[in-house]
Amino acid sequence: MLAIAAAGLLWLCLGLVTRWSAALATGVVFLGAEQAVRLAAGPGTVDAWTPAYAACLLFSTELAWWSVEPRVASWWEPAVVIWRFAAIAGMCAAAAVVAALVVLAAGAPLGGGIGLELVGVAAAFAALAVVAGLARVRVG
Amino acid sequence: MKRTATPKLGAYAALTGIGLVTALVLGRPELVALAAPFAVVLLFGLSLERTPRVDAVFDLLGTERALQGETVEAELELRSDRDAGHVQVLVDLPNGLVAESPNPQLLRLEANVRRTVELAIHCRDWGAHLPGDFVLREQDAFGLLVHETAIERRQPLKVYPRAEELRRLLRPVETRAFAGTQVPRARGEGIEFADLRPFVPGDRIRRINWRATARRGEPWVTETHPDRNSDVVIFLDTFLEARSEDEGTLDRAVGAAASLVEHYLGEKDRVGFVAFGGVTNWLTASSGIVQVYRILDSLLDAEIFMSYAWKDIDLIPVRALPPHALVIALSPLLDERAVRSLLDLRARGYDLTVIEVSPVPFASPGRSELDRLAYRLWLLRREALRSRYLRLGVPVVEWRDDVSLQVALEEVRRFKRHARVARV
Repeated sequence: MLAIAAAGLLWLCLGLVTRWSAALATGVVFLGAEQAVRLAAGPGTVDAWTPAYAACLLFSTELAWWSVEPRVASWWEPAVVIWRFAAIAGMCAAAAVVAALVVLAAGAPLGGGIGLELVGVAAAFAALAVVAGLARVRVG
Repeated sequence: MKRTATPKLGAYAALTGIGLVTALVLGRPELVALAAPFAVVLLFGLSLERTPRVDAVFDLLGTERALQGETVEAELELRSDRDAGHVQVLVDLPNGLVAESPNPQLLRLEANVRRTVELAIHCRDWGAHLPGDFVLREQDAFGLLVHETAIERRQPLKVYPRAEELRRLLRPVETRAFAGTQVPRARGEGIEFADLRPFVPGDRIRRINWRATARRGEPWVTETHPDRNSDVVIFLDTFLEARSEDEGTLDRAVGAAASLVEHYLGEKDRVGFVAFGGVTNWLTASSGIVQVYRILDSLLDAEIFMSYAWKDIDLIPVRALPPHALVIALSPLLDERAVRSLLDLRARGYDLTVIEVSPVPFASPGRSELDRLAYRLWLLRREALRSRYLRLGVPVVEWRDDVSLQVALEEVRRFKRHARVARV
């Protein structure tokens, strides 16, 4: 687990130094993988700290992306910096709430089964399809 | 307007997909909770994204003309129809103008509130420029999409070459009959002392030199030179130029022409202008401040226009080259057509001076022995060309970039003092 976390941090550092967004994404994947391994190796109960971890992961990812954006003069403009910080803070708060809702839903006393499994798969792919569709429409 | 996705959009989509698939594979709902924030950012970012409409007004604050090396203040006024928190403004200036203020700038636009960006533009090179091109890059609140808009609000800005300070100018052999500041060889009514001679009937009493009269015991009068003006034609060779990255012989020639025009017109001479090259322009000789701007505007249009057509001096109207005018040619002497036209002018009796804007500093001798040999031959050929002009009584001076124009003019003055009119 430590090795995976170290690899994640290494990729993040590499991405920050070389301003390479793919390396940043790889670093985040490693950090997520470290959490996945921790959960897989742990007890079967739902981890209550996951929303906090999710919010922190998003926060660090946002800051990393902000760091590798092209440097432009006038970074000193306070309105821009405040606006950006507010946007990131808002996103992380929303992320924590959404993650908490997911965790709460996961803890609901529902009976498992192949039907519910299929609904989960369909929901996952539907979410991805919505994101891809929106991106296609918006980017053009 | 162009809309593009940032690398962040692809990366977040990938993270969401990996998280959801891994959650399904491992059967751990916490991984969905980890992936969900990225999916939420994507969903909100893409759903709430709206294309901003930005109005822009560019103002040079009334400045239409500037001198080379000056800094011009300008303003860009922006107004967006919605909040835009992350707008990059890139000022896309034409070659020869350099932004002194930070470029690009990052700013925030509030909905329907005018925002003024102050710009300082350094006029590095002379020319007629059209600043006013901008690129606005607006990134949405989630950093997923970028809207890039090119704005054209061009306004003309004429940057005149900076005139060099000249103490003494070249004097023509012949002057005109009108009043000016030049002292001709002829004698007449004026204030410059010329000579003393015995009084003859018809001389005015006020011309009597009383001291000379008292010494010689008979009346003597003072003779004076009249104050006259002259015609000067600036002949700019625009066939070819030697050029490095940021400077060329044409730039130096235009700068010299501007200096000469300003100083000659300041001394009440009539000045004409001929740009002889692929495209030939001329202005007939005239005087006054209006003529300064006419010639400076013509200088801004001077450019090298490649042409293989043979051209000679007959193309230029007779009025553009008044008789007895002093013709000052600014040429790198690289094109045979310009060289022959100047010889033709001399053959027609014009008082011609050639200031050779030296192309030598722009040419390197090369590395190989053959290159160096070719370079030496080229230098010898140029030397022979100068000798040819000198034999015909044309003062020719090589003006290098390490000396001022005044030094070159002094060399010509030294030559002209001893020269005699040659008939060829």
